[in-house]
Amino acid sequence: MAMSKEELKAAILDKAMKSPKPQLYVKDFYACDPDAKPRDVKNAANDLVKEGKMTFWSSGSTTMYAAKGRAKDEESRGT
Amino acid sequence: MSKHDTPMMDDLEKGPWPSFVSDLKRQAAKSPQCWDILGQMEQSYKDKITHWKHGGIVGVFGYGGGIVGRYSDLPDKFPGVAHFHTVRLNQPSSKFYTTEILRKLCDLWEKRGSGMTNFHGSTGDLVLLGTKTDELEPLFYDLTHDLNWDLGGSGSNLRTPANCIGKSRCEWACYDTDAVCYAMTMKYQDEIHRPAFPYKFKFKFSGCPNDCVAAIARSDLAVIGTWRDAIRINQAEVKNYISGANKPNGGAHSKGSKFDIQKEVISLCPTGCMWMEGDTLKIDDAECTRCMHCLNVMPKALRPGTDQGATIMMGAKAPILDGAQLATMIYPFIKLDAENEFEGLVEIIEKVWDWWMENGKNRERLGETMQRISLPVFLRVLEVEPIPQHVKEPRSNPYVFWREEEVEGGWERDVKEFRKRNAM
Repeated sequence: MAMSKEELKAAILDKAMKSPKPQLYVKDFYACDPDAKPRDVKNAANDLVKEGKMTFWSSGSTTMYAAKGRAKDEESRGT
Repeated sequence: MSKHDTPMMDDLEKGPWPSFVSDLKRQAAKSPQCWDILGQMEQSYKDKITHWKHGGIVGVFGYGGGIVGRYSDLPDKFPGVAHFHTVRLNQPSSKFYTTEILRKLCDLWEKRGSGMTNFHGSTGDLVLLGTKTDELEPLFYDLTHDLNWDLGGSGSNLRTPANCIGKSRCEWACYDTDAVCYAMTMKYQDEIHRPAFPYKFKFKFSGCPNDCVAAIARSDLAVIGTWRDAIRINQAEVKNYISGANKPNGGAHSKGSKFDIQKEVISLCPTGCMWMEGDTLKIDDAECTRCMHCLNVMPKALRPGTDQGATIMMGAKAPILDGAQLATMIYPFIKLDAENEFEGLVEIIEKVWDWWMENGKNRERLGETMQRISLPVFLRVLEVEPIPQHVKEPRSNPYVFWREEEVEGGWERDVKEFRKRNAM
């Protein structure tokens, strides 16, 4: 049985904070709940961005997710 | 007055064509950061590497697309372009603008950015080139509140849908491309503004097989207008073309020589489905592959049939990760009906998305997933019966196979019985 939306969000955030890679693709979160539909995982990850707990990182052609503060941020690197 | 010595850039002003270098120098009078663009480009030409770092976390609140972070890796040398983010705006359907809105947009962009624009990017967006992070939220507020204008797509989002000019101006359009493009843009706002997919996904809507938005080459899901009855022939106008009263191609490409229908139309038909019987033009419509050549040459004489709809093709892409790929025909014909909000098309789109979101690898376009997993599986997922038109030609790409349950007796057989009839 699929997790509730709040449980799914907690699992996604946990993975985003603990993963060795700071930036993850949305597909990397599918394993947080194998019973959840990809669309539900995407919506949960996007909710976390709206809540300010995660952030998008985009190259322009692709988009990744990161826990707040973990993404490669060119501006804080003094550029 | 130029801030940097740019001899190689200056060379690009010497040809007979309009030069973006001249445009940049003119804009630099108002936006001094344009000198730094020229300086950085000159440096890149010298070093033979780009000095743009791309990507970042920049965006506007609630959106995961529409802003592309751009940073110079030589910020001390070129401070004007240390941050030089790109903003993609959702272009209006068919790219119809009023002068008033364009003037307002240019004023706003000179206030909040470099003033440089690109009409339009290859996806179709109106692109604003170069602003700082601090200007993004104020720009977005002014765009949405004063100009009633929204951002387009970028990243792993649905990209801004694009369409040809369609029925608003073109007599060949087989469906209302403006209506479908607008309806899909509004229906899928969440997918345009927030990442949803393994990689980018593009829709393009062309009204006829002339395909003026290059849907067949550029879009993951191409909706290309077509007809399934006979090409309408006006024999009197055919005679006018033959006599020279009508100019072929509407007078374009004319070399002054007499029009030769055999040489310029009939012999060029890729399937050889046209011929003359006396002075009457005949077409075997079942063999027509919608190349559009005859209709383009003789628009007064030939028109698309009246039973109109669209062919759905999937899997095209430009060469980024893998080679370029043209789209594969999946649905030969569907009707597009505004009354039911194009539900047939919506059903196809969502079936494809569900499958691709589950099966597509990171940074894999739909066409690459289709190729990796196979066309027969893809057709089965979409519940489409394979037809000969799915295969380019028998034997050279026989990629539609029978499955065991479709074959009487399955794959099991009595080898001894077989050997009685076919000795080794």
